[in-house]
Amino acid sequence: MGAGQATALSGHGDSTAGAAPTHRRIFPAAGALALGLVVPLGLLTAWTVAALLGQLPEQILPPPWIVFDTLLEGIQDGSLLSSTVTSLKRVAEGFAAGALVGLVFGTAVGLSKTLREFVDPLFLALSQVPTLGWMPIVILIVGIDEGLKIIVIGWSAFIPVVLNTSQGVRDVPEAYVELGRVLSFSRWSKLTMIVLPSAIPSIFTGLREGLANGWQTLVAVELIASFEGLGYLMAYGRQLFQLELVLSAMIVVGLIGLAFHGLLTLTENHLQRWRPETPR
Amino acid sequence: MSGPVAISAKGRGKSHALEITDVSKKFSVAGRQVQALSHIHLAVDEGEFVSIVGSSGCGKSTLLRLVLGLDTDYDGDIRVDGHRVERPGLDRSIVFQEHRLLPWLNVEANVAAALRQSGLSAAERGELVRDHLHLVGLDQFAKAHPAQLSGGMAQRVAIARALVTKPRFLLLDEPLGALDALTRLRLQDELQRIVRHEGTTAVLVTHDVDEAVYLGDRIVIMHPHPGRIATVLPVTAAVSRDRSDPNFIRLRDEVLSWLGVSRTGNDAGAELARRSA
Repeated sequence: MGAGQATALSGHGDSTAGAAPTHRRIFPAAGALALGLVVPLGLLTAWTVAALLGQLPEQILPPPWIVFDTLLEGIQDGSLLSSTVTSLKRVAEGFAAGALVGLVFGTAVGLSKTLREFVDPLFLALSQVPTLGWMPIVILIVGIDEGLKIIVIGWSAFIPVVLNTSQGVRDVPEAYVELGRVLSFSRWSKLTMIVLPSAIPSIFTGLREGLANGWQTLVAVELIASFEGLGYLMAYGRQLFQLELVLSAMIVVGLIGLAFHGLLTLTENHLQRWRPETPR
Repeated sequence: MSGPVAISAKGRGKSHALEITDVSKKFSVAGRQVQALSHIHLAVDEGEFVSIVGSSGCGKSTLLRLVLGLDTDYDGDIRVDGHRVERPGLDRSIVFQEHRLLPWLNVEANVAAALRQSGLSAAERGELVRDHLHLVGLDQFAKAHPAQLSGGMAQRVAIARALVTKPRFLLLDEPLGALDALTRLRLQDELQRIVRHEGTTAVLVTHDVDEAVYLGDRIVIMHPHPGRIATVLPVTAAVSRDRSDPNFIRLRDEVLSWLGVSRTGNDAGAELARRSA
């Protein structure tokens, strides 16, 4: 595949000389954001109208203004804020640990065929087990404290990071690997100049999936073993039939997830600023 | 810069810069053995420019890979200054048909990448990179990324990267093959000027007969199945590097006839054209 792939890689850009493409990205992003707001605003309107017309019983779906009030109240009395901080901290620690170990492990597995043959079957089998399935065993070992949450969240982030990183590392175009040999690159040069830059899109796909997994696991683990946090708030609200509480916690989780996702995308675009234009 | 070349136990008297002795190479394709190269003998002297022409499948690119040290699984012997080639080394540079610039590095960093293992100081590297970008006329584009360059510019960066290590051998694997005809003519002149300026020994693989005659001091003609050297033609001083000179055209036609593209074939084509007119 060597020659063909490299030709495809060098195919673009026969006409564009000069021109720095950094600022171009911001405006389409703003446009996409505006489009992305259309559906949520439409649903919000429908929800408001239905509530105003009395079509929705408050016990089933509270009107938006009550959810909004609950949200404000939670912020003012600090209960929602402290839950958010608790959960954020858990996700941040778990994700950071899982992603970091996942990056190193995924790179090693991607680089070494031997290591891959050793760990691949086991890892693939383990990764099929839902995170919640691990909980009883992990609880037996580390108890029910913060350690449990960090480990479970970390594991759920670890899996997609490993899978995507090792795939990205293995998919480095042969033409570049050969170039590294021609230039007598050391292992370190090969890793930093060729393998990792080439694997960045896959790595970030893994990080995004890992982050989403982290949040989902957070909610699940807080439902089972916690007395604070956004997941706990949801469980609590559900038990008391305070759906406005559940909904406001959901909104916070969604917004934070969106913010993290955006942050990752910005980082990825920065690392790949050499690209002629944003793909997709 | 002979570090990467292993020293052979066999002492030799007068040796050529590059000596290819009885080299054969087999590939196994879908379980069948294919003879890619058969009993190749070729010696290249210091400062010489050798062109290798042949149709696709004659093994000319395979031969370059062996000289480069990318593939050491062959029969025979390839020696640089009497030392057997064991692996790639900075004494042998290559320009591929595709530029193979790393898209995430700018032009300057792509050229500098070749110096990572050179052991030079940052200042020395910077100076070498600047000199070589100047040599290929791209001083203004040091900070540009490969995606912002035209095909010809990218290939010039690749040439600068190949020369920045001051290699003894410049191996050129159809370096201008992917470029449009005008850019190719311009870069042929540039390549000639640069190689002379640097005094590098060059081996060019091409299927462009004009290019082979224009750039080479000698022309090695290869035939396929199995890949072998059919003949070696010297490019005499009488061939004045002028593409419309009768001597140039005569030599070009001789190369073409060795490649099985006969004059009569051309005449038949001309005859056909005349008849249909």
